[in-house]
Amino acid sequence: MADLKIEGLVKRFGEVRAVDDVSIHVADGEFVTLLGPSGCGKSTTLAAVAGLDRPDAGRITVGGKVYFDGSRGTYLPPEARGCGLVFQSYALWPHMTVADNVAFPLTLRKVKAAERKRRIAEVLALVEMEPYADRYPHMLSGGQQQRVALARTLVYQPSILLLDEPLSNLDAKLRDRARTWLAELRTRLGLTTIYVTHDQIEALSLSDRIVVMNGGRIAQLGTPQDIYERPADPFVADFIGTTNFLPARVAAVAGGAATLELADGQRVDIAAERPPESGAQVMLAFRPEQMRVAASGEGATPDGSVITARVLSRSYVGGRWQVGLDLGGGPLRLEIETPPHADAVRLWLPRSGCILFRGAANAAA
Amino acid sequence: MSNAIAEPGAAAAPGRFRREVPIQYGMAALVVVLVAAPLVPILYQSFLTGALYDHDARLTLGNFARLAQTDGFGTVLWNTFLLAALSTIVAQVFGTAAAILFGRTDLPGARVLGELFLWPIYLSALVLSFGWYSIYGPAGYITLFWQSILGEAPWNLYSIGGMAVIAGVSQAPLAYLYCLSSAGMTDPTLEEAARVSGAGTFRTLWRITLPLMMPAIAYSAVLNFTIGLELLSVPLIFGEPAGVTVLTTFLYNISATSPRPDHGLVATAAALMLVVIVFLVWLQGRLLGNTRRFVTLGGKATRPRPFRLGGLRWPLFAACVAYVVLTGVAPIGMLVLRAFTSFLSPMVPLVDVLTLENFEILWREPVYARSITNSFVVSLVGAAGATALIGMIALIVHRSEFRFRNALHYTALFPRAIPGVVAGIGFFYAFALLPGLGGIRNSIWILVIAFTMRFIPTGLGAVAPMLLQVSPDLDRAARVQGADWWTTTRRIMAPLMRPALVACYTILFISFFKEYSTAIFLFAPGSEVIGTALLQTWVQGEVGVVASLAAIQVVVIAVCITTARTIFGVKLHG
Ligand SMILES: Nc1ncnc2c1ncn2[C@@H]1O[C@H](COP(=O)(O)OP(=O)(O)O)[C@@H](O)[C@H]1O
Ligand SMILES: [Mg+2]
Repeated sequence: MADLKIEGLVKRFGEVRAVDDVSIHVADGEFVTLLGPSGCGKSTTLAAVAGLDRPDAGRITVGGKVYFDGSRGTYLPPEARGCGLVFQSYALWPHMTVADNVAFPLTLRKVKAAERKRRIAEVLALVEMEPYADRYPHMLSGGQQQRVALARTLVYQPSILLLDEPLSNLDAKLRDRARTWLAELRTRLGLTTIYVTHDQIEALSLSDRIVVMNGGRIAQLGTPQDIYERPADPFVADFIGTTNFLPARVAAVAGGAATLELADGQRVDIAAERPPESGAQVMLAFRPEQMRVAASGEGATPDGSVITARVLSRSYVGGRWQVGLDLGGGPLRLEIETPPHADAVRLWLPRSGCILFRGAANAAA
Repeated sequence: MSNAIAEPGAAAAPGRFRREVPIQYGMAALVVVLVAAPLVPILYQSFLTGALYDHDARLTLGNFARLAQTDGFGTVLWNTFLLAALSTIVAQVFGTAAAILFGRTDLPGARVLGELFLWPIYLSALVLSFGWYSIYGPAGYITLFWQSILGEAPWNLYSIGGMAVIAGVSQAPLAYLYCLSSAGMTDPTLEEAARVSGAGTFRTLWRITLPLMMPAIAYSAVLNFTIGLELLSVPLIFGEPAGVTVLTTFLYNISATSPRPDHGLVATAAALMLVVIVFLVWLQGRLLGNTRRFVTLGGKATRPRPFRLGGLRWPLFAACVAYVVLTGVAPIGMLVLRAFTSFLSPMVPLVDVLTLENFEILWREPVYARSITNSFVVSLVGAAGATALIGMIALIVHRSEFRFRNALHYTALFPRAIPGVVAGIGFFYAFALLPGLGGIRNSIWILVIAFTMRFIPTGLGAVAPMLLQVSPDLDRAARVQGADWWTTTRRIMAPLMRPALVACYTILFISFFKEYSTAIFLFAPGSEVIGTALLQTWVQGEVGVVASLAAIQVVVIAVCITTARTIFGVKLHG
């Protein structure tokens, strides 16, 4: 086991900068997730660590061993690195049985036959695939293939574990179970792990820390709580969970709080540590669960403001109503248990917990 | 788990010797030497006053002038062009019509007819020529039959027109295959739009389907034109007796059969041919690029609905059966029949002439028995070696980080531009230049080497598409787990490539087995193969022996194709 240091990693494909100056330090035994939309450079980063693609610049070290150093021209081929990589496609060799697949890395390391047998049995037991040792990959379900792929990687005790969207080929039900299983396994193994996914629930539930990537760059790096509760920019806020955005202008600033004026003139008070100066254009971001319908007669309090939104549409979605609203010219969606009767609803928004982003709309949902 | 290894995780030490380096560079060097071997001596010789192994030969440009002034050389060039152009037209017309009829209409028995239409592609034009001779030649079965009823037969194989028909028929399958793959790609909605707007079957065919096939027709036309220029067998058999010489037979006459060859002239003519073919192959590349760009959108999900031929269905069926029988089945059948008879004529009852004597001669005469054995050794062993080489080239080009892999790819495909005749002459010079290799020069191994070089592109064409279907994750996974490139190649890629390699071996076996145009310049007494024996025996007028040798070739190839298809499920074209 070892820690992983990526410094200033750059990988270009022609004109495209697939990975653009990425630096991450993964501590020994830490589980870090690369999260981002498809095409943001997650797999390319992983391939650079595993040694499958030669990066254009930067430095990668694992436990003090230099894997790649662009400035010195150091480049270890993949076979000399000892990483464990589980491919999105699992990449099980179709001409070998499960046991032979798992035996391959041990044969390469000249492990004696008896020892090899013991370790294969051990690792297949770990992934609960012992009864399938003599099957061929095409005779296994997706979930089983994924476990074999993992076993094949764990069997040689890799210095770090790299997982590229291991659950994305499973159907929704299986994915939930596999995620729970992976979470248990991860605590038992304690391996330094980089996990790649575009699914925020996987990222939030499995990781020690999350790296949100966007267009080859790191948008934010932090714990799941950090990322969810204090997103660094509208992109992160939008990507992690559904987020509502309201364009507004700062009307007044006073001691850790700002009064915002929405496009239709309504005002809300928001707590902010370092509020932008008065007159600045901002984006007010909040989670749907932070907002609720105000009780009749309820008014603004020191804890929150009440605003009025126009009802555009309502549809029954089983047990709840989905209401489309217009708030100061911006669209807003709300799920409530009783449908609004009037053309307008009054909404209560808490004073703290919302986030202000400087600048005009660029990531408005 | 235990600590059975010093460095946990990694299987290979970082500073270790990387054995893929010598393997990849070695392979690349081998391919470069193979491809350059026939070219360099030809180009060099074309600038020399004497033979290139002569020490007092000087550099000169005079060969080009002498070639241009050679008596009748203009006629030779004109004949060459005419034969290639006419045979291309014949091939394109039949090939395109067959693609539409067998691929896009409700013609009865289209599948079987399509298979029979492909026959000539598996046989050499040489054997097809003998077949045609035995039917349509001056003493051919149908010619005599016609004469006995209607008088003088209106056809003459010993003319440019006659030769173009034979060559065209033997090349039509190529046009057919290319058109078929494009007709299959045709977006049915385009056709259906035309039909919905009221266009009839033939109008739609003419205005929509045919124009969509144009890129495939154009590409295969250039391909067939190139093959027509390179063709040796048909003009050698039918052109020479009639005094019609083309570039290949011109080269053959002034080198292989000449007692004191004028090497400067030979090399210059070969170099000229090379330049023309290189240009045409470059043109093919350009056109193929256009074909890809021209692919109609919409995908293959919906199979185009076949056109209804209506009342023409059965007349067209009869015409197709007639074509297949008259051009392929009958000539080959008659050739095989001729092998079992002493004489064949519609005037003589068959039972009176049946005999096994032709095969007894093959058995008795050492030169024939040897040529058959040699053909088997060259094809069985040579194709195995070539398959191994081609598999390695494909892996280095498509599945390695080898620095010069693009250059290697280009070099490996270059033999497409080297005509068989030029390769034969070139290797002859190459081995004449290198005195240490005299042992190889008079053995069958010179043929193996020359054939291997010639058919590298053919083999790559069979291997590469299947290799590209193997997910790169499979070899990348092995690399990450600690296998170096060579181990990955042996343990992972080689087993996964097995079907591709079997297909490659089959195609190479057939190609080696029927090859003659390169061999005719390279064989020596003792290293004859069936192809060279066929030509020599033909010159001696031993038609029965020719027929029996050809019959053996046809049967071996047929068995090979059937085996590959039924046992290994090999797809040989498409
Ligand atoms: N081999 C390649 N050649 C060219 N472009 C590539 C290649 N691999 C990846 N890319 C490009 O690099 C970007 C990042 O790709 P990738 O790392 O696979 O994204 P992710 O795994 O996050 O979905 C994409 O824009 C992709 O198109
Ligand atoms: Mg990816």
